[in-house]
Amino acid sequence: MSSSAVMRTENLRKVYRTGTIETPALRGVDLELHEREFTAVAGPSGSGKSTLLHLLGGLDQPTDGEIYLDGRAMSGLSKDELARLRLTRIGFVFQAYNLIPVLTVLENTAFVLELRGMLRSERVARARALLAELGIDEYADRYPSRISGGQQQRVAVARAVVAEPSIVLADEPTANLDTASSLDLIDLMRRLNEEKGATFLFATHDGRLLDRVNRLITLVDGRVTQDVVQRDGG
Amino acid sequence: MKAALRHLARDRRRTLLTLLAVLIPVYFLVFMFGFANANLRDMFETATRFDTGHAQIRAEQKKATGSAIPLMRDPSDALAALAETDGIEWSTVRLDLPALASVGERSRTIYVRGVVPEQIDPIGKMTERIVAGAFLETGVDGVVVGEELAGLLRVEVGDEMVLLGAHPEAGLSAIRAPVIGIYRAPEATLGRTVIYADLGTARRLARSETAATAIVIRVAGITGPRDRGALDGAVGELRAMLPAGYKVQDWVELVPMVATYMGILTPVLAIVAAIFFALGGLVVLNTIYLSVLERTRELGLVLSLGASRGRVMRMILVEAGLIAFAGAASGALVGIGLILIVEAFGGIPLWGAAAEMMREIGMSPVLHLSVNPGQAALSSAAMAIVAVVAAWWPARRASRLEPVEAMRYVE
Repeated sequence: MSSSAVMRTENLRKVYRTGTIETPALRGVDLELHEREFTAVAGPSGSGKSTLLHLLGGLDQPTDGEIYLDGRAMSGLSKDELARLRLTRIGFVFQAYNLIPVLTVLENTAFVLELRGMLRSERVARARALLAELGIDEYADRYPSRISGGQQQRVAVARAVVAEPSIVLADEPTANLDTASSLDLIDLMRRLNEEKGATFLFATHDGRLLDRVNRLITLVDGRVTQDVVQRDGG
Repeated sequence: MKAALRHLARDRRRTLLTLLAVLIPVYFLVFMFGFANANLRDMFETATRFDTGHAQIRAEQKKATGSAIPLMRDPSDALAALAETDGIEWSTVRLDLPALASVGERSRTIYVRGVVPEQIDPIGKMTERIVAGAFLETGVDGVVVGEELAGLLRVEVGDEMVLLGAHPEAGLSAIRAPVIGIYRAPEATLGRTVIYADLGTARRLARSETAATAIVIRVAGITGPRDRGALDGAVGELRAMLPAGYKVQDWVELVPMVATYMGILTPVLAIVAAIFFALGGLVVLNTIYLSVLERTRELGLVLSLGASRGRVMRMILVEAGLIAFAGAASGALVGIGLILIVEAFGGIPLWGAAAEMMREIGMSPVLHLSVNPGQAALSSAAMAIVAVVAAWWPARRASRLEPVEAMRYVE
């Protein structure tokens, strides 16, 4: 494994079972994700993109294979240990329903810091500074229902990076956004990647976003069919 | 905490329903306890003021006297011992004699209760109970009969009555006595069976100048049937000081009905409370469960972000705890408030057959309520605990959600 590998998978497999029916979602994926990479996982619907991100994020357990985060194997970790890992090392941006509706934008951003036990004054200051940096501090005291879908996803990105995780996983973050908002969001993520050195891996099936990444992994039927490094991406 | 309050504010209808599920049982219990306490106290006060006192000194039974209380030929040594006993608020000598009361051709088996009028009146409020004529005075010959007995014997104030004393230890004797008053007894049975006479008159019937059947005692500091400490202390001390041949009986032995009522009341109230708590708990469980179900995706998100299962469980329990606390406190306040309002209007008066029935069993025909802060606090705390315990299962279920499945959940 490369010394700069944040995450690595070995022969990762996932089979969903419904009664006697088995549906393979991943059929042996070997990947290495490196620090400061801005990677997209592309592929058609049902190719296994979301499954891969869920496994990498410790939200689901692989049927077979191994995942290493910062060199540490994730298999065998209890649910509470995986939760702790997600809290301290991984940032998430989901496709939809990303924010907690009863918390303001500021509180949503600071939520993971609260879960980590950071002092209120410290986490508020840190979240507010990040929102300002991302140009969305004017919404700090609004509830998610009072801002647009694009703004909500920007807040979700802010929340994902505020605790400075090893990697940010984003599962189709632009799926519900219009083109302009989608490009804005990807540009924001790219900016955080470049300015803060955050490592991003996001799933998408939107071809318009792919020229902005510096690495493109293509999944088809649960297998990596293409893994291209585009050093000039973005 | 802030988030929990916002969650509660988000679905006001469900929050209100949960709040009511906690509030109503507490309110009912406070009200029910208030009613039970007041009526128990009412029974106790009636019995101990009008009839038995808190305790009585009586003669030890030496030979069979049937339903008659054994005679104390001269209780001066017992009175001397009583004078040395601490904590005695009031005492009086009494002579109860089984007798036959006759007027013309009508007669009834009764008890002649010989009392010291000036001592018995302030405690039994006898003067207030007189509905015709007057109460006794020391040295004045005559009797005061209950309304019920007056009706049965068809006597009025001024009529003469023949009393045939039949105490096994005193033998048979007869006197004539005018009816000088008619009283309203707190209990119909007493009104039918007890005729009041001056102690001197009763002693004439017992053919003894010093006889008594009881020294009736009230102990200082007793406000209700549950005040056992002062009574036990005084009775214990008195027992130690009394000469041989006497015994001390407390109100539990003298009016076992009150003690029985109290004994039944506690488990009945406990059962009713348990039913209320169970129903309230089930409603809380249901509403919290529905709330968890509706928030499945949100809880999935929280778990995805790295919240521990314990944290998610605490989130739900804090919400349940807030409702439980607010509901229990409101229930107690509503219950207490209603009791105070009812009492400000003089209680709940019964009428007709219900009022008669209450008087028949020695209870007031006006239902009173009293606040017992300890019981209100206990009811509130118990219901709040039940509500939080009821929320434990949905909270646990929330904490066990699989983040990915929870986020895919469609209502």
